[in-house]
Amino acid sequence: MRALYDLNFFVKLACAFLVMLAAWLVPGWVYGLPLSILMVLFLWVARTPGFRAYLKGAVLLTLLVVASWSVNLLIQGMPVLEAVQVALGMAARLVTTTAAFFFVMETSSPGSILAACSALRLPPIVTLVLSLTFGMIPMLREDFERIADAQRARGMEIDAVSFPTRLRFALARGVPLLVQAIRTAHAISLSLSIYGFDLKRKRTTWRNVGLLVEPRFPLSKDEKR
Amino acid sequence: MLDIRDLTVGFGGDALVIADVDLSVEAGQRLLVCGAAGSGKSTLLNVVAGIIPGLVAAPAFAGSVMFRGRPMAELARDELFSAIASLAQNAEDQLWDLNVEDLIAFPLENRGVAKAAIRDRLQALLTEMELGALRGRRVLTLSGGERRMVAIAAALAAPPDLLVLDEPTTGLDPAARRRLVRLIERLAGQVPALVVSEQDPAALETVADRVALLSKGRLSEVRPAADLMPLRAPWIEAGILPPRRQSVPRKGFPTGGSLLAVDRIRTELRRADGRAVLEDVGFELKAGETVGLIGRNGAGKTTLFQSILGLSKIREGSISIAGEKADGWTPARRARQIAYLPQNMRRILFNMTLTEEVAFAMTAKTGTPDADVAGRARDMLSGYGLGALSEANPFSLSARQQALLGLACAEAAAVRVAILDEPLLARDIEGRRMLDRFLDAMLSAGNAVMLISHDLELIDDVASRTLILEDGRIAFDGATRNGWTSRAFRELGWPAPYADGRGEAA
Repeated sequence: MRALYDLNFFVKLACAFLVMLAAWLVPGWVYGLPLSILMVLFLWVARTPGFRAYLKGAVLLTLLVVASWSVNLLIQGMPVLEAVQVALGMAARLVTTTAAFFFVMETSSPGSILAACSALRLPPIVTLVLSLTFGMIPMLREDFERIADAQRARGMEIDAVSFPTRLRFALARGVPLLVQAIRTAHAISLSLSIYGFDLKRKRTTWRNVGLLVEPRFPLSKDEKR
Repeated sequence: MLDIRDLTVGFGGDALVIADVDLSVEAGQRLLVCGAAGSGKSTLLNVVAGIIPGLVAAPAFAGSVMFRGRPMAELARDELFSAIASLAQNAEDQLWDLNVEDLIAFPLENRGVAKAAIRDRLQALLTEMELGALRGRRVLTLSGGERRMVAIAAALAAPPDLLVLDEPTTGLDPAARRRLVRLIERLAGQVPALVVSEQDPAALETVADRVALLSKGRLSEVRPAADLMPLRAPWIEAGILPPRRQSVPRKGFPTGGSLLAVDRIRTELRRADGRAVLEDVGFELKAGETVGLIGRNGAGKTTLFQSILGLSKIREGSISIAGEKADGWTPARRARQIAYLPQNMRRILFNMTLTEEVAFAMTAKTGTPDADVAGRARDMLSGYGLGALSEANPFSLSARQQALLGLACAEAAAVRVAILDEPLLARDIEGRRMLDRFLDAMLSAGNAVMLISHDLELIDDVASRTLILEDGRIAFDGATRNGWTSRAFRELGWPAPYADGRGEAA
């Protein structure tokens, strides 16, 4: 599975686009639903980090989409069975798409994205935007979990409480998360400046980049270059 | 090389952080700037590093800062940061979610250095700084000490003319500190000048040839380190514990019943080699005890308190709190009996004012605030010197003030056990006084304190008993004085505190 994680970021991104295209081009729920189930199974088999959190989100997304689309189509006079099938098809498309990009996001570190971009000699601004866009989201998710642990460690009961209370406490994490996001942005900005990042100069990389991106530096005297 | 004249820096408000400072650093010099927390060290070092006012604006900034004979403000950013490399006091302020190798290579990659040259440099730095075991890991998942070593490696990646290190030994275990000292000594040929700040002068005694003391924003004359180190008065006047200080053991408190019992726990969390982070850990904490916990960086100290609080799952063993089995308790229920104060307090603050933070601690057990809780919270804050900041946002405080807020919250929460993880405020005289106040309050009320620290002098001063965590097990559990001669401590290869005979009992 490790090799899947180490795939070049752009290869992963291209695959995710193809999966998304397939999800939106296949006709109806008959093909869409199996495709979405396959994609979720892939996340599970690939031991994608944060899979359980994704699954919760996907279930919530499916329920919301099926409910809202069904009601909407029923109001427009569509028969019940047909309305549910259309709603299921839409939910399946969204699950397949989000699952594909979730895999890309969770298995691509900012360092591996930087390396893939630098190897292609992309302009520094593109490199930066891609690394931050795909790299920051897992980081913020971890911050969100860390704040929850902080609340627990200060005696705030957020586990053995009702769902609405849990939701309220989750929303209360918004302010510290925002503060943390601002601090992270400041740290990144400082780091870019003092470590010589320059929008006018193309970067290089220490990693060997091809179909795979080297994940770890091979420490040895006879290292192959 | 660097010439600062009449430097004044302020960040709003009446008080200046730095006032009328003159400082010169020549090639070949290694200057140590010592001062208590809040004395202005970080601000001064940020000016030396070109970060203030180049990257971080200061509302009040006056004076001249010349580098290689030119005003620093006129240097292009790339030219400046190629010549001056720096490490922030809080290494997290200049790190982001990169892998270890990515961060070390980052300055070279950004400057377009060829891959082969970057790999050669990586090889040299990882080997020299003994960071090989951390390859492939994300920087933000490392322990505080490990992060700091990686950040130092990044600062050295492209050898600078001037290296600026703000409290580089913070969070490093004694072995890592020695590695850092050896490295700085070896760097003499590669890095022409060094400016380093510390609260604890003894940590870098051997690498500094000159010392300046900073007190309330004013810098003393620069003196040869060898002249200043043996003295007491100048350090005490600057609010710093003298490097040749004597051990001052605290008064003991009568011990009582068990408040925390950890019975042979084994964690689910594993190391890279597959072994559990904690293999078989057991100890007990009794009322009236202050127990020190020491161990190498990455030994599992963080995992231990997370297991105690229920934040990290345990596979085997059990935990009892105040005589009750706590295995089925939620983390929050445990936390209402055990306060944990991390080194970086920002991680556990989430209210909008200091008063709300302390009031939250006071009402966590009952969940119902009474009419007077805000008043009592303000009184508690005043006891720790934070009365004037009661309505400030906790995130706007300095690291030291946040540490004091942590003590106030822990005392306010009326917990049975407090776990203090590397309380850095204890490195200066005022901070030590505040820590003493907290310990007295906890122990006189029949509670217990666990102190996790690499500051062995602090452990020696305040802990009646010491635990040594090694290889996922408690390798020593006994009286602190016996700990320094134990086999487990010898195997760590660390120097014992006050080992040079400078300070047996005062």
